[in-house]
Amino acid sequence: MRSLYFSVAIFMSFFCFNFAKSGDIKAGETRYAQNCGNCHGPAGMGLASYPKLKGKEVPYLVDRLKTYRAGTKVGPNSSLMIMMAQPLSDAEINNLAAYLNAQK
Amino acid sequence: MLKKSKLLSAAIVATAAFMASPSHADTMGTPKISAMSILNGLENPWDMAFAPNGDMFFTEKCKGLSVKTGSGVVNVLGMKGSKGYSSSNGDLFCSGQAGMMGVAVDPNFNKNRRVYVASTSDKYHGSGCKTNFEKCDGNIVMRLTLDKNMKVTDRTDIIKDIQYKPFESNHPFGGPGAHNGNRLRFGPDGYLWATTGDRHRGVVPQSPKLLGGNVLRVNTDGEAHPGNKPPRGFDKRMYTYGHRNVQGIDFRPSDGRAFTAEHGPWQNDEITALVNGGNGGWDPRPNVAGRGDCPDKYCGYMPNQKEGMLPAARAAFMPMSDERFKDLMPPAWNNNGLSQGTGSAAFLKGSNWGYWEGRMAVGIMGIGFGGTPSGMRIDVVDIAKDGKSIKSVIHMPTGLTKRFRGLRLGPDGALYAAVDEGEIYKITAAK
Repeated sequence: MRSLYFSVAIFMSFFCFNFAKSGDIKAGETRYAQNCGNCHGPAGMGLASYPKLKGKEVPYLVDRLKTYRAGTKVGPNSSLMIMMAQPLSDAEINNLAAYLNAQK
Repeated sequence: MLKKSKLLSAAIVATAAFMASPSHADTMGTPKISAMSILNGLENPWDMAFAPNGDMFFTEKCKGLSVKTGSGVVNVLGMKGSKGYSSSNGDLFCSGQAGMMGVAVDPNFNKNRRVYVASTSDKYHGSGCKTNFEKCDGNIVMRLTLDKNMKVTDRTDIIKDIQYKPFESNHPFGGPGAHNGNRLRFGPDGYLWATTGDRHRGVVPQSPKLLGGNVLRVNTDGEAHPGNKPPRGFDKRMYTYGHRNVQGIDFRPSDGRAFTAEHGPWQNDEITALVNGGNGGWDPRPNVAGRGDCPDKYCGYMPNQKEGMLPAARAAFMPMSDERFKDLMPPAWNNNGLSQGTGSAAFLKGSNWGYWEGRMAVGIMGIGFGGTPSGMRIDVVDIAKDGKSIKSVIHMPTGLTKRFRGLRLGPDGALYAAVDEGEIYKITAAK
């Protein structure tokens, strides 16, 4: 019985941890449509000089967005991305990353 | 009295319904618009040009030149790293906004099999291009001769010294390759018109010698039209100067006058009637016109290049068309003070366009920064006869929300549109 409690506890903590880290794909899609798609294109396909984002790993996307939000330059379009990322909440960043990661 | 007002209300409602009905619009000559994708899976298609038999040449910015014939697509000339082309040239490259862009077919194509292509090239960098603050000859216009199988038998570079931005700078859209112009069109005079951009260098647009921020008018050998009238001491190839980044140009059917469509810096996209020797009024140099120092010696996104602000306030500080220039060509239209990415233009010709015939179609890519609505669309603009204002502007009901990069009227009277999403559309009009 004790081992059963232990297993459930392990499962729950794992589940909660991942739920907290992973974003809401649907909410990410909605947020993406507000600003991001103008440059990065449908489903993050990449357009013109704006890079492809679809399928990128979640940690990479989260890190980049938080880096821009902090006002740190990474690459030639940093000024634009800093401006666009500053209003984003942690949850929105997670949602955007989840949505873009899910696009194949 | 009540009965009378009810009757009046009913009449108003009926009139409004009648005016809004498609059938009424049809009787007014509004064409019925339909759009069909004719090519997809492309990578950044940029421009199109038609041979007399309807073959459609098109460029892809980082791949090269191809042609859609009646029997399929032939890949004509590739760039560095391109695969599947009958020939490739290693000096042709893409970076950021730059790459293989404008294309035009010689008016005598049936006899000489010549096609003209604007592209970025490292062939003429020479001792320049070491920094962003020096001459950098990195955009060229090539004259290609093709055999009957669409293979290149000759390449002659007829313009070799259009300016190019080699390195990143501290600006929005600050990567290398910014602002190249590079739209090509033959005018009704049989001369080749080539547009250029300021390449994020403050001194370029008002420079008498550097090719950038101009509209050039040359013959098919790249020599200046003898009738060009730039100011004394300026390069004779210049028809106009003082532009930001001209990517739309076409000629009004009624009088042959050249009009440009230009992308503003977060304010004021512009349509301008060109005047021989005229000044577009763009001068992003630091320490002129009341401005101080600017990041990397370019004031084009100031006064606050890191945040959104009122377009009008931005325009007051850094005008697209500065009225201090006596030779200024004032714009006919400024997109209500907004910049949404005006990228191409084509006048509508043919009775199939109804009362839009003779109006200018303008492709807008959609740039939604600082609170500006994105606005991906094609506008139909009725320009006043004197070219100094517009009479109306409406959105063409294509049913498409795309980044309209290139527009070209085909020999069949249809409007062809290249979109950044990787497609080319055929937009037809019928009365």
